[in-house]
Parts: sequence; C-alpha cells; structure tokens
Amino acid sequence: MALQPFLALGVVLFGLGLFGALTKRNIIIVLISIELMLNAANINLVAFAHFSQPAQIQGQVYALFSMAIAAAEVAVGLAILLAFFRHRNSADMKDVDLMKW
Amino acid sequence: MIFGIPITGQTITYFLLALIIMISGVMLMSLQKVMHMAVALGGVFLGVAGIFILLGADFLGMAQILIYAGAITILMVFALMLTQRGDDTESPPTNSWRVGGVLVFVVVLCAAFLYVLRGTAWPVTQSAVDPYTQPSVVLLAQSIFHTYTVPFELVSVLLTVALVGAVVIARKEEE
Amino acid sequence: MQTHAWIIPALPLLAYVILLIFGKRLRETVAATISVLAILVGFVLAVIVMQEVATNGPIVAMTFNWLTFGPTTITVGFSVTSLNALMLVVVTLVSTLVLLFSRSYMHKDDRFVRFYQYLNLFVFAMLGLVVSPNTLQFYIFWELVGVCSYLLVGFWYYKPEAAAAAKKAFIVTRIGDVGLFIGIILLYLGTGTFNFNQMFQGSPVSAGLGHVAATLNGGVNVPWFAMHGLMFAGWHPLFGMSPYGFVTLCAILVFVGAVGKSAQFPLHVWLPDAMEGPTPVSALIHAATMVAAGVYLVGRMYPLFLASSGASETVAIIGGFTAILAASIGLTQRDIKRVIAYSTVSQLGYMMMALGVGAYVSGFFHLMTHAFFKALLFLAAGSIIHAIDTQDLFQMGGLRKKMPLTHITFLAGALALSGIPPFAGFWSKDDILSATFDSGHYVLYAMGLIAAFFTAFYIFRVYFLAFGGVAKTEKHAHEGGLAMTVPLIVLAILATFAGFINAPFWPELGKFLQDRGPIGYDPGANYPLMAVSAVVGLLGIWLAYAVYSKEGRAERMATRMGVLYKLSFHKWYVDEAYQFSIVWLVMKLADVLNFIDCWIVDGIVKLIGEVAYLGGVSLKYSNTGQVQTYGLVTLVGLLLLVAAAIGIGGVL
Repeated sequence: MALQPFLALGVVLFGLGLFGALTKRNIIIVLISIELMLNAANINLVAFAHFSQPAQIQGQVYALFSMAIAAAEVAVGLAILLAFFRHRNSADMKDVDLMKW
Repeated sequence: MIFGIPITGQTITYFLLALIIMISGVMLMSLQKVMHMAVALGGVFLGVAGIFILLGADFLGMAQILIYAGAITILMVFALMLTQRGDDTESPPTNSWRVGGVLVFVVVLCAAFLYVLRGTAWPVTQSAVDPYTQPSVVLLAQSIFHTYTVPFELVSVLLTVALVGAVVIARKEEE
Repeated sequence: MQTHAWIIPALPLLAYVILLIFGKRLRETVAATISVLAILVGFVLAVIVMQEVATNGPIVAMTFNWLTFGPTTITVGFSVTSLNALMLVVVTLVSTLVLLFSRSYMHKDDRFVRFYQYLNLFVFAMLGLVVSPNTLQFYIFWELVGVCSYLLVGFWYYKPEAAAAAKKAFIVTRIGDVGLFIGIILLYLGTGTFNFNQMFQGSPVSAGLGHVAATLNGGVNVPWFAMHGLMFAGWHPLFGMSPYGFVTLCAILVFVGAVGKSAQFPLHVWLPDAMEGPTPVSALIHAATMVAAGVYLVGRMYPLFLASSGASETVAIIGGFTAILAASIGLTQRDIKRVIAYSTVSQLGYMMMALGVGAYVSGFFHLMTHAFFKALLFLAAGSIIHAIDTQDLFQMGGLRKKMPLTHITFLAGALALSGIPPFAGFWSKDDILSATFDSGHYVLYAMGLIAAFFTAFYIFRVYFLAFGGVAKTEKHAHEGGLAMTVPLIVLAILATFAGFINAPFWPELGKFLQDRGPIGYDPGANYPLMAVSAVVGLLGIWLAYAVYSKEGRAERMATRMGVLYKLSFHKWYVDEAYQFSIVWLVMKLADVLNFIDCWIVDGIVKLIGEVAYLGGVSLKYSNTGQVQTYGLVTLVGLLLLVAAAIGIGGVL
C-alpha cells in the first residue's frame, strides 16, 4: 500500500469541502463543508505519519489537536449562527453581509 | 494488480472506504433535504474513521467516530432543526453560473494537486506491514502526556474558552 | 587654575540655565545681578589663568574622547594658550561691562530676562569658541555664536527692520561659514585630525614658533604638512595639488569663514544692518565678541597662513581694502550707530591686514584695544540714544553740557580710535601701520593711512555733531544711572591706558603672546611712522572741526564732492549690487524651484493621492460582505499561485 492513494483521497475530500463551502446557501452546510476540508487535512497528517520511515506518531498527535480545534470551531460557529439567526431570522449566507461597504 | 496496485486485503479495504467517502461526499453536496445531508455527513466521517484505522491510528479512528460521526453530526442536526423554517430543503444557489464556476475552479485545483502528487518523488512510499513498534495508543499517550504536555493543556484551555464563548454568543440578549 | 579653565565658559551657561528656568518670575535686578556676577567671576578667573600662562606657560589641552571613527578620534575639551587666555580676559571684561550697562539700557523692556538669557548664551558660546581645542568644537561654538547673534539682533523682532537685519546677519555669515566648514573638512582630509595641536604639529609656529618670518617671505615651506603623509589610502595626495596649493586653498577657505564673521569685504554688509538690535548687543557683538571671532580664527589657524604667502597676501589685501572702504562709507552716514559700525568693519580690516602681513602681535593688540574703545563708543552712543531717543546725528547737538560724563568718555574713545597718542588705539594702529610699511606693503600702508585719516574724520564728525553746537531736540537729555556710567568710566580708562601694555618701550603683550618664540613679523618701534600716523589723525580731527563746527559748511562740502559723496553715502552701492545680482538671481531661481515644487512635485504627490482615493472609492463596491465571494477570489488566487509554482517547477 502506497502513500499516494491516501493523499489523493485527501485531495478529493478537500475539493468536495471547498466546493460546498463556496456554493452552499445554508450556513450550517458551509460549516459542515469546512469540517470536510479539515478531515481531508487530517487524512494527510495521519498518512504521512504512517508512511514515514520509521513511523512518526507526531502526525497523529497533530491530527488529534486538529480535531480538538475543529470541535471548538464548530461550537463557536454554531453559537454565532444561532445569534445571527435570532437577529435576522435567517440562516442564509446571502444575508451575512454586515461587513459590506 | 489493478492500475499497478497489488490487490491485498488492505487495498480492497482502502478502495471500499474511499468509495464510501466519495459517494457520501457527493451526496452531501447534491442532496436537497438537509436531514439527508446530515446522514451523508455521517457516512463521510465514518469512512474517514475507517481510513484512520487502516493507517494504524486506532485511537484517532475511534475519536473520529466519537467526535465527528457522533457529536458533531448530532450538533449539526440540532442546529439544522433549530434554524428550520417550514421547508427543510436547502435553497438552491442564486445563480447557477457561480456553481459552475466554482466547480471548474475546484476541479482544476484538485487536478493540479493530483498532478503534483504524481509528479513528486516522495521519499517514502511503502511502509512496513506494522510500522509502529508499540500499539499506537501507547505511543500517542506517551507523546501527548509527556512530550506535548503544554500544548495539550493549552488545547484544553482553548476548548474551555470556546465553550464559554459559545455560550456567551448564543445566549439570548437580556432586554 | 589653568586646568579648570572650563569653569569660565561654564559660568555664563549656568547663568543662562538659571534664567531659563526661572524666566519671567525673576526681577530685573536679580536677573542682571546673576548674569553680571557670573561673568565677573569668569573675568577674575580669566585674569588668574592669564597670569598663570604668563608665569608657567600654557597647558596643551584638556580633552576627552567624544567619537571614534576609523583612525580619527574626535575630542571635546578645552585648551589654554596665551592667545586663548588673552581672548578670555578681553571677552569676559567687555561682556561684564556690557551686561552691567544693559541693566539700565533695557530697563522696563518686556523681555528683559530673555535679553539677559540671550546675552549669557552668547557669552558662553564665545568663550567656548575661544577655548575649543579642535576645529569641530570650534565650529559648533562658531555656529552657536551665529545663532545668538541672530536672536540678539532680532531681539525687537516686531520691528520689520530688526527682523530683516537678523536674517541678513544670519544668512550672510552663513555664506562664510560654508567656506569655513569646507576648509575644516579639507584640513581633516589633509592632516587626518581636527585638533589644532596635532594639525600644526611640526609646523614652525607650534614647535618652536621660530623661523616664521623666513617662512612667510620665503613662500613655500610646508614639509610639516606633507609630513602628515595624507594617510588615507586611496586619496590622491592633496587631491592632485601641490602642498603649497593645498595649504593655500585651506587657508583661503578658513579665511572665508572669518570674512563672514568679521564682516570683511565682500561680506561686510550685514554688520551695519545689525545695528537694529539693542545698543548693548551692538557693543557686545561689534566690540569684543562675534566680530573678533573671525580675527581669532585666523590667529588660531596662523600656521596655515604663515605656510602660504598667497593666503596671507589675500588676507592682507582684503583687510586693507575693507579698512579703507568701510572708513570711506563711515564718513557720510547719518545714523550714529551705523558710523560706529562701519568704523568697526574698518578696524577689523586693520586687524586682518596686520595678520596678513605677518604682524600677529599687532593684530591681536589692536583687537584688544579696539574691544575696549569700540565697546566704549557703542555704550556712549547707547547712553546718548537712551537719553534723547534718536540715532540721527543731525538731530543731536549740544550734549556736551547735558551729558558731561558721556562726553568725556566718548571723547576718550574717539581719540583712541583716531590714533592720537597716548590713547590705546594709537599704539596698536601704529603697530599695524609700521608692520605693513616695514614688510614692504607700501600700497596697503597708504590705504591704511588714508583709512586712518578717514577714521579720525568720521569719529570726530560724530563727536562735533552730537556734542558740539546747540541742542536740536526738545528732549531733556540726562546721564543714565550708575549701571550706565560705571561701564563707561571703566572702558574710558582702558581705552586711554590699555595701549601701554604693548608700547614700544614696554612690549609685555608681545612677550606674552610669543611665549614660545617669535610669531610672524614684529616691526619694532618706528618713530617717524608714529609721528606720521599721529599727524594724520590730528589732520582728520581738524578737518572734522572745520567742517562741522559751523552750520552749513557740511552741505556745501557734500555738494562739492558730488559723486564721491553719493558713493560714500550709499555705501558704494554694494547692497544694491548684491540686490540686483545675487539676490535677484537667487530669487528667480527660487521662483523656478517654487514653481517646480508647487506644480510638478506637488502635482505628482497629489496625483498619487487622487489615484489611491479613486481606486479606494471604486474598489469599495467589491466589498459585498459575501464571504463566499471572497473565498472564490481566494481560490482563484490560490490557483494562480499553484499554476505559477508548477510553471516555475519544483516549488511544490
């Protein structure tokens, strides 16, 4: 089993996540898409850890930290979503335009 | 041998998992009902967990199942239900040329990455059958609680802060 | 005491700081007392220092390192030589008296304390200049003197003439300063040092101070200069000049600085205008300090001038020409202070001429006596102005009865200036004329003699117009207070007797200044020449009496002289010539540059600003707030980067 197939899987998963993050209207789906991209990164980390010679556990440690950060991100993201929803009564990306000119 | 890859149990598992991940992913992007999307999401996460286990990261695989497939998916479902208004379908993107454009760009990007992936001479491409001398959980524990104690503690602080912050942000504002 | 000579300049600085801190809260008397006391103590110390130098000889220099770069170390500190000691005494003495005089002259001025601040700073700068052991420190104090003179001349800045005069003084002297600065740098490049002592090490003057007359007349003798080896690798030795040419160039550049400061032709125009300042300032600047700085500079750099006969000839010719030019202008001026100012220019010309022909001692002897009698004349003029509130000679008259003390002291000063024995000016001026004659500069001698005749005429013209005849104003003239009369009396005594310090039969000053061997050219007594100059002085006085003792004669004489009178009255049109040549040119140039600055430089700057502004205005609409759009743009950027990386190859 080689390294490249895993990296390729990561690329595809990343691409899917990127596509979703840039096109989906629902904020929650956008958040989900970002999770996909993070997962793709994790696959890379673990794959590199596995295929190093000798195998390095640090890649897994890093992936673990990345998961924790992702969890925190989801919590804060959803909190922001709820606050936004309460204000604008919408969960649509189109309505998130507070930062425009 | 298929595409120059020897057919072993590992390879078959990999292809199965990759298939699950990609099908779930594509479904996630194309389904209309948000609840169905959540199920597809679970599929992706489970597939990734399988990949982790395949790569010898047992602990990470389990954590993936618990955190992503379990907690985060459920959290997303809750959020979806909280913000639902009548119809629970994802409203289509306003302009379809934009979807097409993004698709093209993403595909090109992925193609570029894959091209680079192929063209790069990776220092190590093959691994031993059992690369880790000890069970990976043991190694992971030693790493986290010994070498990376401080970052680990910082992460717990970060999680606490994120928790408190989330509560503060999501709380109903008092009139 | 010599090793503590730094206290002398430090005292006025201390007074300055005290006045600066307490400012207007100080009463006039307190401010004046502090200042006068500080400088008086300085004077006492200076006398002690001079005494020590006379008995023990001078110390070399007390310095500490300030900056080191490459092979050069810049030091700061102070040095005491016989010349320094003499200058310290003269400066502190005159300054003390002028500061005392200012007490009543500036009485009730709104900015009385400020005036004393400036005076203290000025005295500090001058004393610092005198004790400087190296050219760089010298230059710093030199400029500080210039700034103080600007502040003091423009003290009544609300008068437009005063403000203009201050600017003129500053700018014109600055022209000279540029020359001096270039000279200092060239000397540094030539000798590798800023220190006076090291610079002239091995030179005849510094070593034994001997052979100087021979050097001067023989022309080129600068082995000491070439000996320094011009150690900077890569420099062509002396920039391709012969040692003699290089020394001459340096000396002339240094002299240009002196020309600016000492108001020599062609940079003399600022000094008469500087009369717009308060009269004590005129006395301080024109008698003892600032203008003397130029002469002092030439004296301090004397080895340089001795090494180059060309440079010394230049000094002598400029000096002699200035002497006669300024004296001829002084003949017809109506403003009492202007007459004395032109007299100063003329007398400084004498000093330069003395230094130029090699009469080192005579030059500084004249500097000293001139400091006394010129300060006296200015202070007496100040006393008159204070009493009758006008500077126009033709509005004065009949003051002999009303202001007897001023009359007597002014007379002493006038006689000293005219060179009538036994007053101070006679001995020093006669020394200069003798030296000029003896060293074979007959033309310069003739010019000096004519200038001496003019001098006697114009100063007694002032005397007869102001003190003789009948009063022309209704104002009740009266003597000033004690603070005014005491300085006048002291200076009158000095103006009368100070000449004996270097009289032919008692040449103490000469011995003092030449404590390490003869410097330059010492003519010795020449009694026939003495008689000639005394007679010339008396002739001038007689002519002044003949013309100005009776009404109407002056006008007739003026019309008879016609063109000459006009030339003199309009100061030989030097100011006008500058106005229509240099000033006009500079103004036009400034207009052109102003146009470029306004339209081209500013235009470019404004254009850039406008472009940025318009770009911002138009680009702001791209900020839709849509995060996904931003993400898309980022994606495109990422793609471009990846494409570039692949295209270049090997980066990813």
